[in-house]
Amino acid sequence: MKPKVAFFDFTCCEGCQLQMANFGETLLEILKLVDVVTFREVMSERSEDYDIAIIEGSITTEHDVERIKKIREKAKVVIAYGSCATIGGINGMKNKFPLDEIKEYVYKDGAKYFPTILTRPVHQVVKVDYFINCCPVYPPEIVKVLKAALQGIPYEAPDYAVCVECKLNENVCMYDKGITCLGPVTKAGCNSWCINNGNICYGCRGMVSNPAKTGQMDILEKYKIPLDWVVNKVDMYNKPRELEEEKPKK
Amino acid sequence: MRYLLLKKENFNDFISALAQIEKVVAPVAAGYKNFSFREVKSGKEISVKYIPTILPPKKYFMPQKEKLIEFNKAESLFDAVLEYEKMIIFGVHTCDLAGIQCLDMVFSDKPKDANYLGRKNKLIIIGLECNDYCDEYASCKVVDNHIPNGGYDLFFTELNDSFIVHVNTGLGEEIVEKTRLLVPAEQKHLNELEDVRARKREIFKDEVNVKHAELAGLFDKAFDSKVWDDLDKRCVACGNCTNVCPTCYCFDILDNINLDFNTGDRTRGWDSCQTEPFAKVAGGENFRKTRGARQRHRYFRKFKYPVERYSRYFCTGCGRCTRTCMAKISLKETINALAAEQKK
Ligand code: SF4
Ligand code: SF4
Ligand code: SF4
Ligand code: SF4
Ligand code: SF4
Repeated sequence: MKPKVAFFDFTCCEGCQLQMANFGETLLEILKLVDVVTFREVMSERSEDYDIAIIEGSITTEHDVERIKKIREKAKVVIAYGSCATIGGINGMKNKFPLDEIKEYVYKDGAKYFPTILTRPVHQVVKVDYFINCCPVYPPEIVKVLKAALQGIPYEAPDYAVCVECKLNENVCMYDKGITCLGPVTKAGCNSWCINNGNICYGCRGMVSNPAKTGQMDILEKYKIPLDWVVNKVDMYNKPRELEEEKPKK
Repeated sequence: MRYLLLKKENFNDFISALAQIEKVVAPVAAGYKNFSFREVKSGKEISVKYIPTILPPKKYFMPQKEKLIEFNKAESLFDAVLEYEKMIIFGVHTCDLAGIQCLDMVFSDKPKDANYLGRKNKLIIIGLECNDYCDEYASCKVVDNHIPNGGYDLFFTELNDSFIVHVNTGLGEEIVEKTRLLVPAEQKHLNELEDVRARKREIFKDEVNVKHAELAGLFDKAFDSKVWDDLDKRCVACGNCTNVCPTCYCFDILDNINLDFNTGDRTRGWDSCQTEPFAKVAGGENFRKTRGARQRHRYFRKFKYPVERYSRYFCTGCGRCTRTCMAKISLKETINALAAEQKK
């Protein structure tokens, strides 16, 4: 029997689901291996019976917390899907402000109808088995993770800087162009997707496990880049990393 | 062998003629003082005056990613694969010629690397002399790579209104024959070449405070140096220094299975000793946990270990590691710091 797969969206833009819907021929190949039973963006059927839960979006309300816990109980395998789910992503910017203040700023008079909590990636609330990174998800990594999940073997994204892949692609470094890039602190695995296409790395895969603090400060000093400017840039995707300590062990 | 001459006015025609024979790759401007070996069709695309490219020509001998085996589990098939392309590499500086010589030594050593050697056979190398330093990061003189030392089929040196061409191999002779633009060099051209070399002896001086022969000894005593502690604080482990180095040859091998869970391939790709997971083994133990220890390893892999095994420095002096370092760690400064420390 083919494993049953269900997609769930939490706080996000649903761009990562779209990435799957746009997958083309590879999607057909994947569909030979799994039964998709819930996928709001492309089908109207729903099912409460699934083996693999693919979670898009971050956890930002108490209701989300309850919902994700129920999904975790039912699913054999939970896959966090896209930056919102793996690191909190853009939604994490909320955590820079007092919650009441930011709620009022967004919803004005209606604020009281929208209870909110600090933004968290999925693994800070329930145990996650696999991570598919990037904003939106990087298609080759979708395939790699699904292959690992279907074989029941671990998948580990490389724990080194995006610069490694960027050099192998022989890009002219953004710093040579006088532009700040988050490649040196960001986990590789996207084949330096953005830099290959003329953009900087925004850090959407999350930070390497051991970023060199003093060394990074040296770089900022050398290129005369103000610290808070870079912190802002890192926080755009990575603010919820500060809540990492509180994540559940199981 | 012999010296020939190519008039500058015939340079574009020569490259076009090469492109008729085989795919030609040569240094091309990539912007912001960066250069890169890329395919060219005419001489106009080539930057004859260039500083070492982002990646060395190593990428043609040992591609960033290369398939080694294709398999089919159900049929128990495991086929060795050699993917190669015939190519003429034009404009290789002497430092990079030395880099290729280092790789040759490593991959001809037992066990011989069939993929490297098979691919190398298909590549024709045309060297190009540096009449002056490329920039302040180079240290090619102290490792003796500022002048040609073999490792090419043809070698170009720019004179006033021509290039003098050293023909070094049979393959070089074939190129001469097929392109039909090279004429015999006269004595005055040989004199001009001698002038270029004499001028170079004036310009190129040991770039560090250590003599060629003393470099190895410096590193013999450097294991517990404080210099590595300094690098430990500065390095961010981006891996750039190793990924751009013409003599780094570490690779990682991965098996990929296709979605049919039956067919797949075994692929190798460049790896870098500067990254966090490089020396991590099963169980999570990491043999070179600190960035300082990893930097020391990199330097020892240039100035100590290969000297013991191949009697040769594996630093070509190309300066790429310094040029590309995010943290502005400088090879010349590191050597000088070690020398200063040992003088105390
Ligand atoms: S462009 Fe960015 S990712 Fe690429 S080498 Fe430079 S800093 Fe690293
Ligand atoms: S280059 Fe950076 S921002 Fe772009 S996909 Fe990779 S990690 Fe994300
Ligand atoms: S160590 Fe640096 S200077 Fe020496 S060959 Fe490697 S990249 Fe070039
Ligand atoms: S390092 Fe020396 S040989 Fe290499 S490009 Fe510079 S000047 Fe030429
Ligand atoms: S390039 Fe510089 S910062 Fe990057 S790993 Fe090498 S020494 Fe460290």
